[in-house]
Amino acid sequence: MTSRKVAKRGFNLDYVMWLFMRLSALAMYAVGLTGLTAALVMGARTQTDLSTLVRWTFFQNPSHVFSSDIVVLDNFINQFWQIMQITMVFFGVTHGLNGLRIVVEDFMGSTIWRTLWRGFIFFAWIFITLVAIYVVLAS
Amino acid sequence: MKKITLKLFRYNPETDTKPHYDTYKLEVEPTDRVLDLLEKVKGYEDGTLSFRRSCAHGVCGSCAMRVNGENKLACKTLIQDIKSSKITVEPILGMPVLKDMIVDMEPFFDNYKKVMPYFINDDPKPEKEHIQSIEEQERFDDTAKCILCGACTTSCPSFWANDEYVGPAAIVNAHRFIFDSRDQGAAERLQILNDQFGVYRCRTIFNCTLACPREIEITKAIGEVKKAIATGSLD
Repeated sequence: MTSRKVAKRGFNLDYVMWLFMRLSALAMYAVGLTGLTAALVMGARTQTDLSTLVRWTFFQNPSHVFSSDIVVLDNFINQFWQIMQITMVFFGVTHGLNGLRIVVEDFMGSTIWRTLWRGFIFFAWIFITLVAIYVVLAS
Repeated sequence: MKKITLKLFRYNPETDTKPHYDTYKLEVEPTDRVLDLLEKVKGYEDGTLSFRRSCAHGVCGSCAMRVNGENKLACKTLIQDIKSSKITVEPILGMPVLKDMIVDMEPFFDNYKKVMPYFINDDPKPEKEHIQSIEEQERFDDTAKCILCGACTTSCPSFWANDEYVGPAAIVNAHRFIFDSRDQGAAERLQILNDQFGVYRCRTIFNCTLACPREIEITKAIGEVKKAIATGSLD
């Protein structure tokens, strides 16, 4: 099948975010399941409760489990898990706030409120991501 | 014969400040269609009742309306298939009502025209016809069934929220030509649909697929267009 040539278009936010939403959802499953599996392997299966396991799944931060009886915290205090936490934070915040952007795009119409919401979402994305990364690196 | 209560949306912009409903008690056969009821009311009860109809056989797509809240063709909806004895008929949603069941379809056809819904081929004309295999034809067989009734687009919450969205009907008709092996305008159509008011407004709600009186798998077709944009391949 032949097709007429068309000029390539530049950056297309909607296309990029459509792809991102699908890939980031898969990535969050991968990160979460990795954390959960590692927690179980490192002893969580006999020494902790559901809420602690959930924290390990979604935010593998040793400071979250100080109150538990886990004795393998050292295994979680290394750069690999910090990278995993930052990955989860980035995908989660971007995925969620893009969902909010989509709602705004759908229902706000071409009004000043849409522009204001877009700006708010952009700055919220930057702010939350930076604060979360600070928490991960400082804890 | 079966007794039913027919509740009709009524709005005449020349005399009414806002819409209202009129109710009629009718005796009907189970094999009557909703269109027959409307004809009965127009013929014997109130000649001012306005609705579009033409072929009355599910081909022209003129009589799309909401029957008990669901988009249907009035000419294909049998009374025996409606479980309730109360039948409410209203115009399709998302378009300005002109009178009673008649809506302004211009926004719908403006979106339809955006996707270039016509055959594009710059090659010299063949002596007889453009040859196509059965498999190549089957690739767009489903979307070629569209009759442009608007039942899908007007059942879509994304379209209700923002009518700049081209809507499922336009994407279905783009699909019909994008995947036609004889056509050469696929790249242009994909670029038109690769836009915030193109395929990305589809939230995969499936209302369109449920509403289509031709049983076209619309959400699947939209997914195929999205995939073609993402991969750059029509296979």
